[in-house]
Amino acid sequence: MTANFLIGLREGLEATLIVVLLMAYLTKSGRRALLPRLWAGVGIAVAVSVGFGALLTFGPRGLTFEAQEAIGGGLSIVAVGLVTWMVFWMARTARTLGSELRSRVDGVADGAAWGLVLVAALAVGREGLETALFLWAAAQASGESGTPLSGALLGLAVAAGLGYLLHRGVLKVNLSRFFTWTGVALVVIAGGVLAYGVHDLQEAGILPGLHSLAFDVSAAVPPSSWYGTLLKGTLNFSPATTWLEATAWVLYAVPVMFCYLRANFRRRLRPAAETPAATAAIAS
Amino acid sequence: MPGLTSPKTRRTAGARLAVVAATAVLPLALASCTDNANANATGATDGPIQVTSTDTECKVSAAVAPSGNLTFAVKNDGAEVTEFYVLAEDGLRIVAEVENIGPGITRNLVLTAPAGKYTTACKPGMQGDGIRADFTVKDSGKQATADADHQKLVDTGVTQYTAYVKDQTEQLVAGTREFAAAYAAGDAAKAKSLYAATRMHWERIEPVAESFGDLDPKLDAREADLEPGQKWTGWHRAEKDLFPPAGYKALTAAERSAISKQLVADTGELSTRTRTVELSADKLGNGAKELLDEVARGKVTGEEEIWSHTDLWDFQANVDGARIAFENLKPALEQKDAALAKDLDAKFSALQAELKTHAKGDGFAYYNELSKDEVQQLSALVDALGEPLSKLTAAVVL
Repeated sequence: MTANFLIGLREGLEATLIVVLLMAYLTKSGRRALLPRLWAGVGIAVAVSVGFGALLTFGPRGLTFEAQEAIGGGLSIVAVGLVTWMVFWMARTARTLGSELRSRVDGVADGAAWGLVLVAALAVGREGLETALFLWAAAQASGESGTPLSGALLGLAVAAGLGYLLHRGVLKVNLSRFFTWTGVALVVIAGGVLAYGVHDLQEAGILPGLHSLAFDVSAAVPPSSWYGTLLKGTLNFSPATTWLEATAWVLYAVPVMFCYLRANFRRRLRPAAETPAATAAIAS
Repeated sequence: MPGLTSPKTRRTAGARLAVVAATAVLPLALASCTDNANANATGATDGPIQVTSTDTECKVSAAVAPSGNLTFAVKNDGAEVTEFYVLAEDGLRIVAEVENIGPGITRNLVLTAPAGKYTTACKPGMQGDGIRADFTVKDSGKQATADADHQKLVDTGVTQYTAYVKDQTEQLVAGTREFAAAYAAGDAAKAKSLYAATRMHWERIEPVAESFGDLDPKLDAREADLEPGQKWTGWHRAEKDLFPPAGYKALTAAERSAISKQLVADTGELSTRTRTVELSADKLGNGAKELLDEVARGKVTGEEEIWSHTDLWDFQANVDGARIAFENLKPALEQKDAALAKDLDAKFSALQAELKTHAKGDGFAYYNELSKDEVQQLSALVDALGEPLSKLTAAVVL
């Protein structure tokens, strides 16, 4: 029960976190009208995952292991690209808050708004297939006992609940801080998603170096523990991380974070005349 | 830097990403299907291999399985979440895995595994090297669908070659009648002019003719190879009489007539028998090789036509026979070993080009007119071709 609950929680958190931050952002910047698009993206991803998962579970044909990993890994990496672009789009539009420019930017940003649907769909869908396959397997086991499925579903529900609480909590944060920190959080999460995607591709044999580990703290943070689950679900932290994963994370997170903070910094010190020292202090 | 691009480009970037994502994933998904095993899978397996993973154990119901589609039904009877891996022999490369097997859940892992040694592993708690065991996949020898296509190509090749043999036999029968008539009538000039050209039909299908052990010596025995007490008949008996060496005593008209009759009768018998001969891919492949060996043994040395010196006609005919056999098998060979097909093509062409340099009118130069170097050159090319040709049968049949 607990174990299945934790799987549900982990997969659920992986899916909800990005969506929650995007929702909070839209709400906060007075673009509630765009929320349905976000939900549409989530809905599409859930429907496709559940349907495809059922087809693969009960249909005549399954999916090879390599394909499953390549889908999870590939979608994760595409999702990272989209989230990154979203973060900078948000940083730009945040500057126009409360000015009459906003409506104009929003008009132009209609394409970006459709991008929202895609980001939400990918954030949920990248792990959706694996989760759906797990849920169907749990459902099949329900013939013997109902616990696996109920545990898994409960885990998903708790993840959604946590997401809602986070959403509510985030809304209370002071506005300019909010924008800085959602962006930072999204960059960190995206770094984790990238590392996760790299690991999937390593498992499929598409990328090398599956067995050269940068560190292994499985003893201190067992993947089956509740804190291991939370770390994995939120930051995509895996206790045994390969060098390639770690490198990808660093190469992504550091420069993107730097650019993002610099963009924010400029925004707050308009007209932009930042000193290199200050930039360095923020970036470090 | 996305922050610096204009809104327009950013929109298209988003759209482009969407397209890329869709186009990358869809064919991938379509091309990555594998058959879900049903409970009544054919072959030696009775449904899936049962794996029971507990917190301390990893029970695999079979340690050996036939190659093809393997299904592992992995049930978690422990309290920890488990994972199941099939690893390559090195214990490092993941061949297939299934994760997130919660307690009480059964998940299937389907993979197509070629014969070889593998390692299975359960990972209760999702960490460490897991509980490992050796697993062997034996060659089930199941013919894949590709093999059916291959068989079709082979069958077509054999059919084509059978037709070629029939055609050559008919021409041999007609040519032999004409030659025998001229020879029996004492028209030496006509018989001489027909001799080499007619024999080419024989030489092209020699392996098939040789498969009838009793006919070959009657028709094609050379004086040097006669067994003690063996009556000498056939082509070479007539050859010596038509191209007599110094001090040779010519045959009488009655003797010539007897030899001619015998030649026609034996050739007729050969024709009757070839009609019902059962050819197969290995006979074609081995026959092609035999023809080349025939060239290397008899034609290059000039022993075959010791009096007429028409060895190059035979040479060309042997090469023709081998090349036709190869070309009939080529589509099947290209499926199995395209490199070998290419190599054979090149070497047949090289030998043919060299032979062509000795062509004269409708025929060839007499063999005793060739210089030592020219003979050496032909011999080298025959040897070069013989080596890959000896691999033809195995490549097509196995």
